[in-house]
Amino acid sequence: MSATEIPLENSAGRTTTSGIPYWAQHLLVFVIFMTIWEMSVRFEWVSALILPSPFDVVAAWWDLAIVRGLIWSHFAVTLTEVVVGFAIGAGFGVTIAVLSALSETFRRLVQPYMVALQVTPRIAIAPIIVAWLGFGMEPKMAIAAIICFFPIFINSLTGLMQVDSESLEMFHSMRASKWKIFRHLQLPGAMPVIMAGFKTGISLALIGAIVGEFVSASEGLGVLIQRFSFQLLLPQAFACLIMLTVMGLILYGTATFADRRIVFWQHEDLVNRISRRMRAKNADLLGKGPAV
Amino acid sequence: MNAVSQLKESPGTAGAARQEIISAEHIGKTFGGSVVALEDINFTVQQGDFISLIGPSGCGKSTLLRLVAGLLPASGGKLNVMGSPMTKPRPEIGMMFQKPTLLAWKSVMDNVLLPKTLAGGATRKDREKAIELLHLVGLEGFEYSFPNQLSGGMQQRVALARLLNTGAEILLLDEPFGALDEFTRERLNVELLRIQREVKATILFVTHNIQEAVFLADKVFVMTPRPGRLEEIVDVPLARPREMEITKSDEFNRRVFEIRDVLGAAT
Ligand SMILES: Nc1ncnc2c1ncn2[C@@H]1O[C@H](COP(=O)(O)OP(=O)(O)OP(=O)(O)O)[C@@H](O)[C@H]1O
Ligand SMILES: [Mg+2]
Repeated sequence: MSATEIPLENSAGRTTTSGIPYWAQHLLVFVIFMTIWEMSVRFEWVSALILPSPFDVVAAWWDLAIVRGLIWSHFAVTLTEVVVGFAIGAGFGVTIAVLSALSETFRRLVQPYMVALQVTPRIAIAPIIVAWLGFGMEPKMAIAAIICFFPIFINSLTGLMQVDSESLEMFHSMRASKWKIFRHLQLPGAMPVIMAGFKTGISLALIGAIVGEFVSASEGLGVLIQRFSFQLLLPQAFACLIMLTVMGLILYGTATFADRRIVFWQHEDLVNRISRRMRAKNADLLGKGPAV
Repeated sequence: MNAVSQLKESPGTAGAARQEIISAEHIGKTFGGSVVALEDINFTVQQGDFISLIGPSGCGKSTLLRLVAGLLPASGGKLNVMGSPMTKPRPEIGMMFQKPTLLAWKSVMDNVLLPKTLAGGATRKDREKAIELLHLVGLEGFEYSFPNQLSGGMQQRVALARLLNTGAEILLLDEPFGALDEFTRERLNVELLRIQREVKATILFVTHNIQEAVFLADKVFVMTPRPGRLEEIVDVPLARPREMEITKSDEFNRRVFEIRDVLGAAT
């Protein structure tokens, strides 16, 4: 649904025609890549000041995360900013999309502002937000919210507006109210597209929080990366970057998990399971039907 | 049992004179001021009739069905259903389309229960009724399957059960089996007739297939395009219940050729 999504293939446990399992292929490529990286630093093809070796990065991470343990509080700060910012952005995005879908007048009135928001580089608002909200977590949450709002709004509105016309007629012929149509047709029908918006939005919220931290902050992984980079402590900066990658994976993984649960009908294995469970739960009802 | 509930439970009591249930006088429908989709349509439908509507694409069959469903207002003329003019959708009238329009996120059971859900909520009794209806359309064992797990023919059976669960006495079917393969369609046609006998519904059935139209109907409404008109009403007094065998009879084929002539002459 969303163009920014990388199709992640679930290749676990499968084997290729060559007989080498996929995980082994991935491991091999990873090891080769790391070896070349390590060697290029060891043999000084590139300066260790510019590119730290993987070994140095791991050592720096060990020191920051395990020995001194100072990375975790920053990790928690950034994660909080992202999660709260995303929740606010998603809340506004879905709400305004719902109102726009239900009322043509509302849609017409908000449209110019949405277009303005779309064409403005939203990151540029970061210094202004910091000026308004100060140096705590609030401005980062606000920036994360503003940046992830738009794709969530657009996806939600698109999903809510693309109602199948015959399904709509079917509801009308059953004299369904506007609310019932929304509740039983529009909203569930839009869920796949809304969830795709959430997946895009959660990654953008992370970008927003980091940008906010770059502008001005005393805590957070963005702050650490900036500080280490200024001091040319690149192994430490890379260690923080890896933590951000991990955070991104956790956030995206959570969104993907929620997507599967909510849009269960698009996943064969889940449908089969839910269907079986429902059958078991309603066994008494089924037994009551006329014997055939 | 009082008189009212008796009346409600047996609308088409044997012996009682069959009533006129739909009457159309000089109905027209124009879209956007210039597209004349229907012009001067006149007909009546008796309670319990099976009417087939046939005609080339664009002759206004779907439009006519939407007028009868109350989904569209007529541009002119008088359209009465059960004695009162059509203004908006009514509980006595239900509709079904070529697409099954099932809700993918609801089980077969919950799809069939949709009319009850929309009316305020499904009770235990409604659930038992839904199971009976699913048996009626031949879907026992699939109550808690999901639409994506079913074939196209089975999905249309679910849509039919849902339609029956609206409690409507007038069923409007717009090419309901048009997207299915020939075998499935023939089987569903035979079953549709059986179901109609059982629930005593009045049916308006749109199709592009002359054989199908004749096989099902008491009367075939033959329509022609530009502007959409009701060219001829062909009576089909073949005995019921009908089996596929009758499609070989001369009586049957005479009707088929008659309709083909009307459609051929108009183009
Ligand atoms: N909502 C609409 N707005 C404008 N024109 C319409 C609308 N609905 C139908 N028409 C026009 O009315 C005419 C009849 O359409 P209709 O869909 O009733 O035909 P049909 O007989 O059902 O055709 P088909 O066999 O292809 O389903 C067509 O010319 C169509 O373009
Ligand atoms: Mg049509």
